[in-house]
Amino acid sequence: MNDLEFDNVSKRYRVQDESVAKTGMRARLRALRPTFNEFWAVRDVSFAVKHGEVLGIIGHNGAGKSTILKLISSITTPTFGEIRIFGRLAALIEVGSGFHPELTGRENVYLSGSILGMRRREITENFDRIVDFAGVRQFIDTPVKRYSSGMYVRLGFAIAAHLNPVVLLLDEVLAVGDASFQEKCLARIDELKRAGTTIVFISHDLGAVERICDRVLLMDRGTVSATGSPADVIAEYERVATTFIDAGIPAHQAAVLPRLARVSDLLILDSHGDETVALSTGDSFTIRLTYEAQEEIRDTAISLSIRAQNGDFMCEFSTSTDIPMLNLVAGEGVIEFRCSQLGLQPGKYYFDTKIRDNDWQVKCITLRVDPGVVLPGAFYMPHKVRHLPASDLAVERRAVAPRSAEAKRTLPSRVPVPAPATSKPSE
Amino acid sequence: MMGSNVPRILPGAPDFDVGARARQPLVVVRPPRFTPFALIAWLGRLVHYRDLLYTLTMHRVNVRYKQSVLGIAWAVLQPFTLMIIYTVIFSYIVKMPSDGAPYAIFAYAALLPWTSFSTALTTATGGVVSNANLVSKVYFPREILTLSYILSALVDLSIASVVMLGLLWYYHIALTLNALYVFPIILVMLMFATAGGLFLGALNVRIRDIGVAMPLLLQLWMYATPVVYPISALHKLPPMLRTLYQFNPMVGVVENFRRVLLQGVRPDWFSFVIATSVSLICLPLAYLYFKHKEATMADVI
Repeated sequence: MNDLEFDNVSKRYRVQDESVAKTGMRARLRALRPTFNEFWAVRDVSFAVKHGEVLGIIGHNGAGKSTILKLISSITTPTFGEIRIFGRLAALIEVGSGFHPELTGRENVYLSGSILGMRRREITENFDRIVDFAGVRQFIDTPVKRYSSGMYVRLGFAIAAHLNPVVLLLDEVLAVGDASFQEKCLARIDELKRAGTTIVFISHDLGAVERICDRVLLMDRGTVSATGSPADVIAEYERVATTFIDAGIPAHQAAVLPRLARVSDLLILDSHGDETVALSTGDSFTIRLTYEAQEEIRDTAISLSIRAQNGDFMCEFSTSTDIPMLNLVAGEGVIEFRCSQLGLQPGKYYFDTKIRDNDWQVKCITLRVDPGVVLPGAFYMPHKVRHLPASDLAVERRAVAPRSAEAKRTLPSRVPVPAPATSKPSE
Repeated sequence: MMGSNVPRILPGAPDFDVGARARQPLVVVRPPRFTPFALIAWLGRLVHYRDLLYTLTMHRVNVRYKQSVLGIAWAVLQPFTLMIIYTVIFSYIVKMPSDGAPYAIFAYAALLPWTSFSTALTTATGGVVSNANLVSKVYFPREILTLSYILSALVDLSIASVVMLGLLWYYHIALTLNALYVFPIILVMLMFATAGGLFLGALNVRIRDIGVAMPLLLQLWMYATPVVYPISALHKLPPMLRTLYQFNPMVGVVENFRRVLLQGVRPDWFSFVIATSVSLICLPLAYLYFKHKEATMADVI
């Protein structure tokens, strides 16, 4: 059962050409027949949102996200196509819209509530709950121009939050406000989600989108360019959006590669073994590389280079440390690189793969690293910490001290010194 | 995953079954259609939003008087001071005939509906543009904005009428039963003001000159209406022009408003019928135009 349907919707904006000079008689006469610049903000968009589903819409600036927002909330009408909404719609956009600075909080609750579609009766019933949610009971009868920006936003959100809609439209409103307000917002949204509200979430905050949404739409220049699970679509978006500086394969080397074996697939698995496109600093993960070899290849090595967005070479995973002479089987094989703690700082990275003397592929996949263990520095070095009072340490030192006095003499110098041929070997 | 195997959908083709639908949509957003059925739908939606109309009208009235000392007295000030000025000019400086009644009340009886009409039309024309922040952020039928200004002008009219009663008492003019005709007359005035407000208001969104020119336009219009002079003063005009003059609906409104209150007789049917017909024709046309422009108002505001 669908709660929202977009059926071949297109929206054209006709903006008057203001660039024509307004001086001079001829120009002014020409201005009587204005020329228009046409611009298709949204072209042939169709999708549906099922009852209870949470849909995210992401894309570049100018991709048509705000136009879709305006179309759903009926602020503007489509040029072609139809939008069908099956249920009461509430939009948590621009909280505090409709507030008049001269009126008191109380009067503004009524004004804003009725603008958003609540009946006076409903507003009166919910009035106390709204005021308590916003926490402005003390100031409810002073003009809102006296409110702090926090109170303003809280009151606006409180009004919208008590609408109990069937379809909820959300945008960047969550970005405004302090951390506790954002928590309140998200808590309320979770409540609505559990109650089965259909939500359309339009945002640039990819973390929030991944957290809340069941399905994501990627907009690109007015059309839907991809749809699918949040992880997939976000990865697609990042792949297209992020400009990676290519370290590049030196031309002379690229030409001579025989490519009898090639890397056919590369997956990043998180600590639970699930496929992911994002990890956090300090996470344990596995990289599964699948190769295809046309014949058996002996004595080779497979390596993965990790590069940052600006092309800097960060580090490398290689088979040469654990398997010095790698023999690839004919057909398909899998190499797994296991790492207990990711040392990369938050950012975007891409992987190059190399099969020695055979294959070299650049930018195979991208990885997004989110903040996990947050410590400054160029990278994170995993470490374990122990806290002991000094007395315990002295006990421990004595416990590991050598039993013979002779050995004790050689102890102080731990740095291996080239021993003269005649003396005893040190510890 | 290497390579991009994120599923794509074809542009244009809806990926849901359009035909199978268990229930009717609550809201359909589509390019505006102009059929008689649509008109009923628009009016229905207006009724649905009546709470908002009430709230906005009260809000207008409140805001006007909120932080002022004189408060409600401002509603009376405009017609009253104009009356004083015109009385001084046309009673003492230049002698203007006034159909037998003292000039002061003669002028006030016309100024009452006229200033109400003038305020209603001016504020309604600028109404959509001055609420651009609402228009671009929230949905509601935009004519609610226009109507809220018209209704708040009506509130002002009611307040200023109190002074009228005072003047009637002061000049010992008795009201007859015909005075009840003021209600249909005011209704015609409101209809015409609404038609003007809708048409000019929609036009004003794209061509802002309209809102700026309104005060001037109304000033000129006032002299084309028998506010400061009686209609009998125009007997020197050729009859053709006199008939044309009557097509100004405000002529019918103002002249008859005066007649039923001061002279206590029935309204002049000719001018009243013309005023009513013009208003009744203009109103649906203006509404249609407004609805046509409403679809793209948020785009250009």
